[in-house]
Amino acid sequence: MDPAEFVAVLGAENVLTDPTQLRTYECDGLTGYRVVPALVALPRTTDEVAATVRVCARRGIPFVARGAGTGLSGGALPVADGIVISLQRLRRIIEVDPVNRRAVVEPGVTNRDISRAAAPYGLYYAPDPSSQQVCTIGGNVAENSGGAHCLKYGFTVHHVLAAEVVLADGTVTTLGGDSPEHAGYDLLGAFIGSEGTLGVVTKVVVRLLPKPTTVSTMVADFGSVAAAGDTVTDIIGAGIVPAAIEMMDNLAIRAAEAAVHAGYTVDAAAALIVELDGPPDEVDSQFDQVLEICRRHGSTKLRIAADPAEREAIWRGRKAAFAAAGRISPNYFVQDGVVPRVRLAEVLGRIAELAAGAGIRVANVFHAGDGNLHPLVLYDEAKGEHDRAEKLSTAIAELCVELGGSLSGEHGIGADKACSMPVMFSEDDLATMKRLRAAFDPAGLCNPGKIFPTPRLCGERPGPFRPHPLEAAGLIERW
Amino acid sequence: MVTHLRPANLAELSEAVREGPQRLLIAGAGTATGWGGTPTEVDAVVDTTGLDGVIDYQPADMTVAVRAGMPMADLQKVLAEHGQRVAFDAARIPLGATVGGLVATADGGPARHAYGTLRDMVIGITVVLADGTVARSGGRVIKNVAGYDLAKLFHGSLGTLGVIAEVVLRVYPLPKATRTVAVERPPDEGFELAGQIVARSLEPAALEWYDGRLLARFEGTAEGVARRVAALQAAAGAGWSEVDDAVWDEVAGVALGAPGDTVFRCGTLPSRMPWLAGRIAELAGAAATVTSSVGVGVHTVRLRSGDPAVHAATLTTVRDEVAGTGGSTTAIRRAEDVPAWGPPPPAVALMRAVKQQLDPVGRLGPGRFAPWF
Repeated sequence: MDPAEFVAVLGAENVLTDPTQLRTYECDGLTGYRVVPALVALPRTTDEVAATVRVCARRGIPFVARGAGTGLSGGALPVADGIVISLQRLRRIIEVDPVNRRAVVEPGVTNRDISRAAAPYGLYYAPDPSSQQVCTIGGNVAENSGGAHCLKYGFTVHHVLAAEVVLADGTVTTLGGDSPEHAGYDLLGAFIGSEGTLGVVTKVVVRLLPKPTTVSTMVADFGSVAAAGDTVTDIIGAGIVPAAIEMMDNLAIRAAEAAVHAGYTVDAAAALIVELDGPPDEVDSQFDQVLEICRRHGSTKLRIAADPAEREAIWRGRKAAFAAAGRISPNYFVQDGVVPRVRLAEVLGRIAELAAGAGIRVANVFHAGDGNLHPLVLYDEAKGEHDRAEKLSTAIAELCVELGGSLSGEHGIGADKACSMPVMFSEDDLATMKRLRAAFDPAGLCNPGKIFPTPRLCGERPGPFRPHPLEAAGLIERW
Repeated sequence: MVTHLRPANLAELSEAVREGPQRLLIAGAGTATGWGGTPTEVDAVVDTTGLDGVIDYQPADMTVAVRAGMPMADLQKVLAEHGQRVAFDAARIPLGATVGGLVATADGGPARHAYGTLRDMVIGITVVLADGTVARSGGRVIKNVAGYDLAKLFHGSLGTLGVIAEVVLRVYPLPKATRTVAVERPPDEGFELAGQIVARSLEPAALEWYDGRLLARFEGTAEGVARRVAALQAAAGAGWSEVDDAVWDEVAGVALGAPGDTVFRCGTLPSRMPWLAGRIAELAGAAATVTSSVGVGVHTVRLRSGDPAVHAATLTTVRDEVAGTGGSTTAIRRAEDVPAWGPPPPAVALMRAVKQQLDPVGRLGPGRFAPWF
């Protein structure tokens, strides 16, 4: 690819073409999928993003927007003869408005930095994906990110009021507005969670919330995974909306404990972290109710966080659980399926059966309160277990659909689960979604090869994944 | 002659749209016929009220799937038997407004302060497009990012993209106790007090500046609500009183209006509320009532019957000024000769493209968004 036109709009220092530098952009958090892009653009302003996209539009060059690259579904996977547009240099916090409780930020600002900037006013930004230290708000908008506390507070789509976006033809527009009330179609709502396929976000207006007055956190151990699952079902069924309910099974508890010493009971079969927040009376009475439900299901130990430091330690263990899986297995896949909360115990039993059948270990650590599973499929590449593990991982996601749930609760479909989409959606459903895409990006240049299955990659009939072709060779065929 | 089509199920709906005459107007209970632009002549009305009833209700999962022609009030009755509700209080609900109609109009009530609107509660949707295609998005779980969210697109679409056939909603527990406090305050002080209530995390379920008073509705346990009512009393000082829940019917009356009234809804930065209230008073005087969800910046204005010229001037002037600062206005009730829409939003070209993709020959709701598209 001739970089001249990109250099002309960005300057040579903001265009990467060196193969070694390009390689650092070859994958996101889903590291099994790698494609080296032809070029990486590093714009510094909305105008530069728009100018870059206009070059792509003129030349028919596909482009993939990228934040911190922490996504777990290959949503930021480059296209071989396309470019990556990194938003890392758009990282200004433009305004924090405590009176209207909102902040205006550029897409490269990290999730955590928004809350940090809002903290002096007693405010924070609610969605808290586990990667919040590094993941960017632009990526959060693309993926409609959630986090442990979205059970009560909702997802990115509930906390973004407006977004400035560069469309696939290089025009700049604003979706949403000053309030949730805006006439016409809710294009902002459709854009959030579109995984970078409808445009590039260059500015985000987020809502900020006051910090809750009372927060209470407990860890409840159980003698079986089923008892923990039934406890979650009963808490939800009792009409309690906790800020978070997280669940870990024994493998996950041991891995997390070894990593950060959060004080978990290493021989517990399962543990729940339940957090309630809000006005003090409501929190206290519901906390007692939750303790009672845990006891009724035979909880073997109830640990209540005595102070913010202990709460922090409990959460540190939970948030470290993914990375900690590396301590108990050389390789692993993270799944992201969702089931109705009344079927938690059932799905955990079915996953255990599938795992036993495949001879592969699965650790479970997930957002139980909203039914969002994150099974960690543990395998050893060196022992030739990759294909078996991948098949199991896909089977778990599709099991969630069979039980009335979804392929993905927060990680996105990306390149990873595109071939499973026909398990969840009909041809007409997908064709309708593609019509929306065509309205935004008729030429299909904006993050192609994501979300939608393509016959060449997935085969003509829907069904289980066939083995992926060699990453590089296969992925070239994707768009 | 206008044909009346009243399908009784999804298959009939798809067929009615596919085989029906050219231009179609989608109608539910008919509680929002004045919203947006006046439809041009149509060949048939697609009446959704035959698509009624609950499809699947899982109380323990706090989700419910319904046919879109079901009146929201009926749904609330079903949910209440299990101690649950849709946390949504649009004024039209007691008039029989359907779930689909409430989604299509992006309506909302004071509960938007804590719970948002149906946009924030719809977790799955089934629609029928102008060519009869049946398309679903979302599903039956509260957390789900698979595929595009078509429900968002249809929220506020005023029947111009397709017929909403089925809706899956997240539901919430009914509160054990509810109390409402009113504090007499002019707009600027009302806005300031509202900010204090939010900052102190008193977590009102609704926070509405209505006609010279700040109304705060608290929901929760009896003790918790009592404590928060007391905390507000301490913060507010003079002008405080506890009021009957019936005050919320008065607030609803602003959005409903009456024949001969002009009613419109504006969205602005929350801090623009004092300006808006002042401007309405200047332009329309005592004939005007403003109710404002002051925490989120959504204001509903009612101009009672009087000089039509004053109504027209008030709506168009305020609308232009609101648009000039990045806000938005939807007309809910107006005289025929007053333009339905003001300056278009920045993304109007994209809206046009979406309309073109989903309804290329313009069969559905012609005129609703004229002159934008």
